[in-house]
Amino acid sequence: MRRLRAVMAKEFFHLLRDPRSLSVVFIMPLVQIFIFGYAISFDLENIPMAVIDLDHSEPSARLIRDFERSTVFALKPLSGARREGNFEAADRALRAGRVKQVLVIPAGFAGQIRQGRTAEVGLIIDGSDSNVANRIYQYDQMIIQRFAAGLKGLEDFFQVKTKVYFNPESRSVFFFVPGLVAVILLMISAMLTASSIARERELGSVELLFISPLRSGEIILGKTLPYVLVALATGSFILFFSHFWFGVPLRGSLLVLLLFALLFVLTGLSFGVLISTLAPSQRVAMLGSVLATLLPSIMLSGFIFPLDSLSAPLRALSEIIPATHFLRIIRGVAIKGADLRHFLKEGASLAGLSLIALSLAVLRFTRLRRARR
Amino acid sequence: MKGRPETVRAVEVSDLTKLFGDFRAVDHISFAVERGEILGFLGPNGAGKTITIKMILGLLKPSGGRISILGLDARKSREDIKKETGYMSQQFSLYPLLTVRENVEFFGGISGLGRAEIRGRQEALAGQLPDGLLRLPVRNLPPGLRQKVALFVSLLADPELVFLDEPTSGVDPEARRAFWHTIYGLRERGKTILVTTHNLDEAEYADRILVIHQGRIVLEGDPRSLLETRKADSVEQLFREAIRSHATT
Amino acid sequence: MRLLYLVKKEILEIVRQRELLVLLFLAPLIQIIILGYVITTDIKNVPVEVVNLSNSRAASEITARLRASPLFRVVKLSEKPEKAEDVLRRGEVRALIEFRDSPGRGRWAWTLPEVYILMDGIDANSSQIAAGYVNGIIKDYLQEKLRRAGLPMPVEAKTLIRYNPRLRSINTMGPGIVALLLTILSVFTTAFSFVREREQHTMDTLLMSRLRPMEIFVGKAMPAVLIGLLDMVLGIGVVILWFHIPLRGSVLYLFLASLLYLAAILSYALIISTVVVNQSQAMFFSWFSLVLFLLLSGFLTPLESIWARAPALAVLTEINPLRYLIKIIREIFLKGNGPAFFWRDLLALGGIAVVLTSLSLLNFRRFISK
Repeated sequence: MRRLRAVMAKEFFHLLRDPRSLSVVFIMPLVQIFIFGYAISFDLENIPMAVIDLDHSEPSARLIRDFERSTVFALKPLSGARREGNFEAADRALRAGRVKQVLVIPAGFAGQIRQGRTAEVGLIIDGSDSNVANRIYQYDQMIIQRFAAGLKGLEDFFQVKTKVYFNPESRSVFFFVPGLVAVILLMISAMLTASSIARERELGSVELLFISPLRSGEIILGKTLPYVLVALATGSFILFFSHFWFGVPLRGSLLVLLLFALLFVLTGLSFGVLISTLAPSQRVAMLGSVLATLLPSIMLSGFIFPLDSLSAPLRALSEIIPATHFLRIIRGVAIKGADLRHFLKEGASLAGLSLIALSLAVLRFTRLRRARR
Repeated sequence: MKGRPETVRAVEVSDLTKLFGDFRAVDHISFAVERGEILGFLGPNGAGKTITIKMILGLLKPSGGRISILGLDARKSREDIKKETGYMSQQFSLYPLLTVRENVEFFGGISGLGRAEIRGRQEALAGQLPDGLLRLPVRNLPPGLRQKVALFVSLLADPELVFLDEPTSGVDPEARRAFWHTIYGLRERGKTILVTTHNLDEAEYADRILVIHQGRIVLEGDPRSLLETRKADSVEQLFREAIRSHATT
Repeated sequence: MRLLYLVKKEILEIVRQRELLVLLFLAPLIQIIILGYVITTDIKNVPVEVVNLSNSRAASEITARLRASPLFRVVKLSEKPEKAEDVLRRGEVRALIEFRDSPGRGRWAWTLPEVYILMDGIDANSSQIAAGYVNGIIKDYLQEKLRRAGLPMPVEAKTLIRYNPRLRSINTMGPGIVALLLTILSVFTTAFSFVREREQHTMDTLLMSRLRPMEIFVGKAMPAVLIGLLDMVLGIGVVILWFHIPLRGSVLYLFLASLLYLAAILSYALIISTVVVNQSQAMFFSWFSLVLFLLLSGFLTPLESIWARAPALAVLTEINPLRYLIKIIREIFLKGNGPAFFWRDLLALGGIAVVLTSLSLLNFRRFISK
């Protein structure tokens, strides 16, 4: 026990040797949360657009006003229209990215409406950002539909009513915080562990560990436990901070959450140890852990990109990534306040993956050790 | 520089100090190294040996004092001084992934040697080592050979001054003796060698020794005459007594 | 030139580590391919539950369309009321679509149900887009009905999508992915190489040699630039050949922009490596810089939105080199724009590169003459 504590203490001191390290670990995630909380959102706002109104009628003016009044769009004048002509100027503006769409109201617009025919307008959208273009298209449809319904006096003809649960203001930070927590936990547990052990291998001091009377498991535990504590502390700090500052809900039992976080950290650790036994240098260990644990956890866990849209093989891949299950648990239990009973599958998956990773790591480590003897 | 008057000393250090915050790593030391001599720099770890060497080599900026090397101010004439100094650092500083041949090429190249010269040196080294060793990566060499190569590399530019920082650490006694044989050979060629070590029995190999403790010089002189005058049996005893008396002052 | 010996040594060291080569070249390519499939921000296959409490034909017809649409995956069809909150909590569906009978509307021959979309707000993005899709499906249904009844919609929009007519998200994201991966690689490897060198004492030897600080700086940076450019070429090649992304503009300017970007990002990584004390710090700094660069680059969310929501933070986008690279890349690939359009961005990128490179050189000088 004492020997274990000695290994732990050394690791702790190395970690705490510089207060700068700790402030980095705590402050940087905070900055990220701020950015997510304030700057990033899924709603479009202030998208510049231009209008070519060839009808100059009362209905056309009203349509333009509808676009203007929406928060999504910001009307911009078309510069150079007089010089080059409307369409050249519009083309230029689109190419330069000064506007993202152009609304064209042809002459005779009001006339067609009066005659009860279908009046057509044109919308030219910059498709180079497909995501934005998609949303712009949807907003366009909504605005035009409402305008059309208004013409016929059918405003509430067919209103689809929406209600948002758990996140009434649709704040993106609710969505991202679990992912951020997971990433921090992973970074600290996997990357730091990998680099710490790889460093020892590089310096040669790992030989000392190998020949010590400690068992492999004890060595691994001793070297990684400080990181576990730091990881959990940081993760909790971020969660609480988002709760108090941004109002991200924190429901469910915190103890249960801690348990799952621990399991998750354990998987990260095991991967870290595994990578460090395979990597010949610290540089490789770092890069390896980034590419093998961090990137997949960001891409394929549902952190940012939705899993529903993935093809079957990728979706299968995402199921063996611990972060996927961890995120489902945090989002479901902590933020939505669901009953733990519904997430037993995720919990079991997490535990299972954790166990497999841990055994693999211990096995590799022991084998490495035995080879040195 | 070879046409220098004989009165110029190889290294002259006066009042050299290095502070890290409040901690005095090197505390107003002054000493000189004569040309053509082997100076042994002794002291326990953390005494200030490596820091002093680094200051002399220009790798660390002194907090106070003056250093002159071969009559030139160390701060102003660094480029000229570099031409005449060779350095073998504590951990041999060879690149483990590169072969012996590639290491020689690299270090020769950055010392300003031309391609023909480099090739000549590679061949010279090949003659001194067992067959085929030139193509082995350095990390596959035993420590004794690695040290030999590291020494060779530090001498590539044929410098007049050679600084060796703990050159014999981790090396077996046989290789160590061979090493000192080489050092004597260097002295025959007119070089000045400064060796730091915490291996006190190696002190007897040097012409003069300088013992540093807690940033100050506590003992200085020719090891043999010191042993006589102080009636000590070994350098180690000299060392311990010097430290003890220094600690009490 | 003495410098070349240093470059050769650096390259040899990298090439001699097989694992490193794999990580620097093979792994990124694989990542690019995987990422390309993952980052389809086309939301489809959204799991929903349909709760049909209405007797109207419209409700069942619309339900049929929902089930047939690839945009949705109707997980459950219920004709009994459900507690939306509980269902959403379980996380199996993103939204419930509920049809209820509306109090009689006298105007129409057929009764139209009321439609409620009850969304999971946590995954706000998916839910909102799903809601948009539902709207779209209902609107199409209505328009058909109206047309058949001889009542066409008064206004319709004809939409023309330029530069990316099929709205393939891979076209938008593909080149950006390459830039992203390049950034990750450069920042991580460079930030570590100097720290490592310092910890290995070999820096002393370099400083003792006849190499000037500037030469050491360039010599260590050069391989990183070469690796970066090589990765860039490979990555863009993969992205064009595998995903069939069009490249309509000048490759030359693509290279120029990449070069400037590499200079900027490598200098940034070098500054990090001289500021931090150990490798863990290097890792954290690198990671968080990366995230910051990414979030404020216009890659994930448009810059205009950021300006509208948080102008204080949006100022940072002006000094973010990735932002300019993404813009130039998208313009070259999809719009075929020439420098007449993006010269300002190129200039900004160049300016940032110059500033960062000078800073890192100064920093390096200071760092080695302690």
